[in-house]
Amino acid sequence: MAKPGLRDSDVARARVIPIGGGKGGVGKTFVVANVAVSLARRGLRVVAVDADLEGANLHTCLGVEHPSSSLADYVAEREEDLQKLMADTSVPRLSLIAATHANISSSQPSQARRVQLVRALCDLPADVVLIDLGSGTHPAVMDYFMVGENGLVVITPEPTSVENAYAFMRAAFYRRLRLAMVSLDVRKVVAMAMDQRNERGIRTPLDLLREVQAVDPTEGTRFVEAMQSFRPRIVMNDVQSRDDIRLGFSIRSVCRKYFGIEVEYVGYVNHEDAARRSVRSRTPLVEIEPDCDASVYLRRIADKLVPKESQ
Amino acid sequence: MKGLADQNHYEILETHLGATLEEIDRAYQLALVTYADDSLARYSVFGEREVSVLRERIESAYDVLKNADSRRTYDSKLPEEDHALAPADAPPQGSEAPAMAPGFEDLDEESGEFDGPRLRRTRLRRGIEIDNIASITKINPLYLRFIEDERFLDLPAAVYVRGFVCEFARCLGLDPQRVAVSFMRRFEESRSEALSRRAGRKRRSRG
Repeated sequence: MAKPGLRDSDVARARVIPIGGGKGGVGKTFVVANVAVSLARRGLRVVAVDADLEGANLHTCLGVEHPSSSLADYVAEREEDLQKLMADTSVPRLSLIAATHANISSSQPSQARRVQLVRALCDLPADVVLIDLGSGTHPAVMDYFMVGENGLVVITPEPTSVENAYAFMRAAFYRRLRLAMVSLDVRKVVAMAMDQRNERGIRTPLDLLREVQAVDPTEGTRFVEAMQSFRPRIVMNDVQSRDDIRLGFSIRSVCRKYFGIEVEYVGYVNHEDAARRSVRSRTPLVEIEPDCDASVYLRRIADKLVPKESQ
Repeated sequence: MKGLADQNHYEILETHLGATLEEIDRAYQLALVTYADDSLARYSVFGEREVSVLRERIESAYDVLKNADSRRTYDSKLPEEDHALAPADAPPQGSEAPAMAPGFEDLDEESGEFDGPRLRRTRLRRGIEIDNIASITKINPLYLRFIEDERFLDLPAAVYVRGFVCEFARCLGLDPQRVAVSFMRRFEESRSEALSRRAGRKRRSRG
């Protein structure tokens, strides 16, 4: 945390935690809003950023009806200072950067702008920055997922959500690999593997590793390092049974066996009728029903993402 | 990173060389659920053929590791580097979520209470006969059956039963203390209930 008397450059950078999930409607925004409030209530300065320029919702979940500024202003290069887009919420220490009134014809920032945005997000004056990603695996979405710490993937126990979560992790995984590879030849191989119907018959990340090792053994080592340092985190949302909870552990196993990556299962949120009410009343669940099970689990997820010792 | 074909039994079950039998059981149960035909977790990643290959590997891994003798033989044949790698390959403790939310720690049916039927299930999974246990522990096989059937009133005094249960658990590779605490609680409860019922009957017949 910032201490008085320290220069700006001495202040520790914010922890940036992107939250995605591939599929729409799995509760990404719900998780972001509640984790953000929980952390702010713990005394941390939190900025919740809505990066879903095509389906902005976060402001509604946080009860900010008409945000005066929006990330869209930064994307459209109308505003150069990301800090100025921060709006207060009803929760002390919690600010919001909304994503309302985006330009529908070109909502996503250009690649150059994305690079600037990513840097600006890390420089926000806060302890924690949570980024609510849009659905899908658009390059812009994947860029934000690579920012800061290992991102969080929200999954519900349904085939559609599980399928999209894997597609999402797969996209993140290959993107990460391509960034880690130095040699152009190897990057080409990785790019080709991203097409699931590639002619070389590269189906699994392991096939790809063999292919990379054949092209360049040094790159092979880098490949393995990149894989080991990629540790996405998952949350199971809307669980209704022990089997649903256990699914998180199973997904972790499949990620190990298929991608060869370690996924951290940070928690689950049970199905909660009050969750609907919270959305309708535009107040996060941890505020209107702080004692219900789901609120307890959401706070635990917040504590797991930003442990109290690190505060 | 090793392909499935190169992974040893511990890696297949995602456990580690020093795992207790209980940990191996739990790992196996999770693997069964994860790679079952109707599993949601493998959806869109592993096809049916891949899953059936995986299942074969899981079964043969468990077959070897569930039995202390075959496991020892297997361990001794593991290449040196597998022994060296084992601790690092074990899933890091921090990522195990159990301590975080109620339900996480007793997620698996097999980590909750130990009752008679559960001892039987464990025994059957290990492929051990009552008579085997009786000959190792010198406990009357009849008592072992009573323990599994929870015929608490047919069992001798608590001190003996506690000893039996500990021995029984040890043979199955379970933690004797945990099993005994859990089983004896059921034992005591059931006996005191029976006693109060008997007392009630006596009072009624006198009145």
